[in-house]
Amino acid sequence: MQDNKSPLSPHLQIYKWQISSLLSITHRIVGVVNFFAITLICFWSLSLLLGGDSYEIIYGFLNSFFGKFIAIGLCWTFSFHILNELRHLFWDLGYGFDLKISKITGVLALFGSFILTIVFYLIGNSFF
Amino acid sequence: MAQFNLPQNSKIEVGEYYKDKTNSKNLKKVNVYRWDPSTGKNPRVDTFEVDMDNCGPKVLDILFKIKNEIDPSLTFRRSCAHGVCGSCAMNIDGVNTLACIKSHTDINGDLNVYPLPHLKVVKDLIGDLTTLYKQYESIKPWLQTKQTGEEKIELKQSQKDREKLDGYYECILCACCSTSCPSYWWNGDKYLGPAVLLQAYRWINDSRDGDKKERLKKVADELKLYRCHTIMNCTNSCPKGLNPAKAIGSIKKMLATG
Repeated sequence: MQDNKSPLSPHLQIYKWQISSLLSITHRIVGVVNFFAITLICFWSLSLLLGGDSYEIIYGFLNSFFGKFIAIGLCWTFSFHILNELRHLFWDLGYGFDLKISKITGVLALFGSFILTIVFYLIGNSFF
Repeated sequence: MAQFNLPQNSKIEVGEYYKDKTNSKNLKKVNVYRWDPSTGKNPRVDTFEVDMDNCGPKVLDILFKIKNEIDPSLTFRRSCAHGVCGSCAMNIDGVNTLACIKSHTDINGDLNVYPLPHLKVVKDLIGDLTTLYKQYESIKPWLQTKQTGEEKIELKQSQKDREKLDGYYECILCACCSTSCPSYWWNGDKYLGPAVLLQAYRWINDSRDGDKKERLKKVADELKLYRCHTIMNCTNSCPKGLNPAKAIGSIKKMLATG
């Protein structure tokens, strides 16, 4: 039956998204984004060592509209990754596999990430 | 690297439209995936208008009605029609389930019926599960004991130990879970998939089995087991309400805690 003529049945094209699968793929994408974000933060701190002029460049960039968009976006990617990773930690301990509970924690992680983002933004705005 | 698009010979074309001939007022449009190996053509989706006033409540009833009254060449697997044998597993309304226990009344709008995802199609709604059965065999799904057969004593199991198999022994191997799993789509040749891993856990967890360590060692593999990323499509699709994700999590935990 495994001849090459047989077509492959459709998969991604037809499968309905579930909250769980949507959060799972988001978790992975956000993880990759965070990897680049940490690189950016490293360059940012490196610019401190290189003196005022180089710091000005990155400071200027992060204060532009696009820079602010990226900074707030990264607040969200980190918030989401942290909260969803908590779910993974509980799964690794053997808890939270129940369909209902995993859905609730998933929704909590998603909404929590938006709230955390706002909190980060407000803290950042009032202290710096 | 996983291929997210369908290969050229698998691209789905628009099929035929079977108009209702009964003048029924209560019609449902049913879109069914079709592929006939004898034609050499690409798969297509046929649309059938089905008279729901004279049709049973389950998706399998609709398929039978189409086969009996509209197009006898429609091909699908079925046997018990009571959610016990697992033959009529297919993708209905975007989620894998058994056609015989899925009510069409739960589905709003058109009804979409496809074979189980990411399998080689044999014909119409029948996918080729050879790989899955081989993987199932690889976990030795039978009791391993040191008994020779000479002992003439039964292997006893306490009620408590027996209860540890609840939620696992009920699996009917319909393959809904494995074929719902994106990890299994991309690595189906190496990753065992939720159905087989749930079965593996069922035997690891059996108090009468004498091969627990060996079983665990065999399954502890980067590809065989750890391709599970807790996406939970498996648990979402299981028509028997079981939890393969939890079974896999339990195996991982056993391996981590020793």
